[in-house]
Amino acid sequence: MKLIVTQTRMELATLLRNYEQLLLIMVIPVGILVFFGNVEVLPDSVSLSRLVSSVLTLSIMSTAMVSTGIATGFERSYHVLKRLGATPLGRERLIWAKAASVAIVEAAQILILLVIASLMGWSPGSVTWWKLIGAIVLGTSAFAGIGLALAGRLRAEANLAAQNGLYLALLAVGGIIVPIDELPDAMAVVARILPSGALAEAMHTSLGGVTSDAWFSYASGSGVWLDLLGWAVIAPIVAARLFRFDS
Amino acid sequence: MSTVFVVNSPIHTTALEVQDLVIRYGEIAAVNSVSFAARHGEVTAVLGRNGAGKTSTLEACEGLRRATSGSLRVLGTHVADIDNSLRARIGVMLQDGGIAPSARVMSLVRHYCRLYDRGVDPRQLLTQVGLQHRARSTWRRLSGGERQRFSLALALAANPDIAFLDEPTAGVDLDGREMVREIIAGLTAKGCCVVLATHDLDEAERVAQHVVVLHHGKVVLDDSVENLCVGNRRLEDVVREVTR
Repeated sequence: MKLIVTQTRMELATLLRNYEQLLLIMVIPVGILVFFGNVEVLPDSVSLSRLVSSVLTLSIMSTAMVSTGIATGFERSYHVLKRLGATPLGRERLIWAKAASVAIVEAAQILILLVIASLMGWSPGSVTWWKLIGAIVLGTSAFAGIGLALAGRLRAEANLAAQNGLYLALLAVGGIIVPIDELPDAMAVVARILPSGALAEAMHTSLGGVTSDAWFSYASGSGVWLDLLGWAVIAPIVAARLFRFDS
Repeated sequence: MSTVFVVNSPIHTTALEVQDLVIRYGEIAAVNSVSFAARHGEVTAVLGRNGAGKTSTLEACEGLRRATSGSLRVLGTHVADIDNSLRARIGVMLQDGGIAPSARVMSLVRHYCRLYDRGVDPRQLLTQVGLQHRARSTWRRLSGGERQRFSLALALAANPDIAFLDEPTAGVDLDGREMVREIIAGLTAKGCCVVLATHDLDEAERVAQHVVVLHHGKVVLDDSVENLCVGNRRLEDVVREVTR
């Protein structure tokens, strides 16, 4: 346990020294929440509650997939993972330390975002907390699996491009900012399969929102959770099979 | 220079046994039935040209590379059974460092001292490798020789009973080499088994007591430096002969 704590502290210290990562995990989600919460450019159907759920989804995706994926990809290419594997920490504890640092960062992100949302007029009164935590856990598992699958196989530079590209694509058409109901039909079909759309919708219902029509017609609303659960189980399995500790 | 290492292993007992080690990459046998032993209190130099199988052999001993077949015993334990308490007694210096460019010298040395938890003082360690004035620098700002010494410091954080050092003097200037030699001498004086891979035959002749030469993945020479360098015969000539 002591070694996991030591490594977790190191992971967090490294993250805090990395300004690009801080931009990704904190500045962008807060910026989007404040900007779109105050400037009326989104469709009318996007309420403040919907925006909050979208930004929470974005923050989970930023931390679990992009930030973890990019950092791990570079660590792999610099043989940092290999070197740590030769210490008493070992690979298993290293994975636990990385999971713990992701959990701590996400907890801080969500707390800050919910405080800002409250200052903007959002009320936490209708939040179903166990659902929210479930969505966070499943979303983190899904996105971390995707991020590590890419990081564990691609060259560092290709991984960087892939993680950023995927982030932008999911942000634009993955049902995060623009709800699936508002997307063109063909895009909505794709977005409904993606983990981003499922997590955004699961977040939305956790915050007291009503399941959108696009999801309601898909397995009577429970499709959101089944879809998210599927990603949460399959993505880490794929990552475990693809991941190579050394490049 | 004072050393900070305390090793309790009896001098000259076997610390590493490699028997019939085979490592294959697809169809290619990078290491082909390699056997040798290394003892506490001695430096064993694993020599050979590029691609001879030196790094693969060391990494298999460190538990970082899976052997296709053969037996590897480190500090009396089969490499597959090495647990974390035993791993804490094994110092490792990778050929390519294994350090992120943004890592700060003092911060990472302190971190490794905590991970190994063998009572090594990070400040003393930095002084020992001559990097005390670079404590706040990042890896990317260090010179080639400083990077090697930084990497060596991480291996020494284990206060090792056995140390695997891959090319410890590559890119290191004359003063730095002298420092590395003193550190290695300090380790063996305390009973540590040092296994180093190097291209530098002069360096090997200076620091090693035992030499294993690999050629195309096979051991072509396994003897003491004392036996090999009789009279004016130099190790470089001996190695050239057997790897021709």
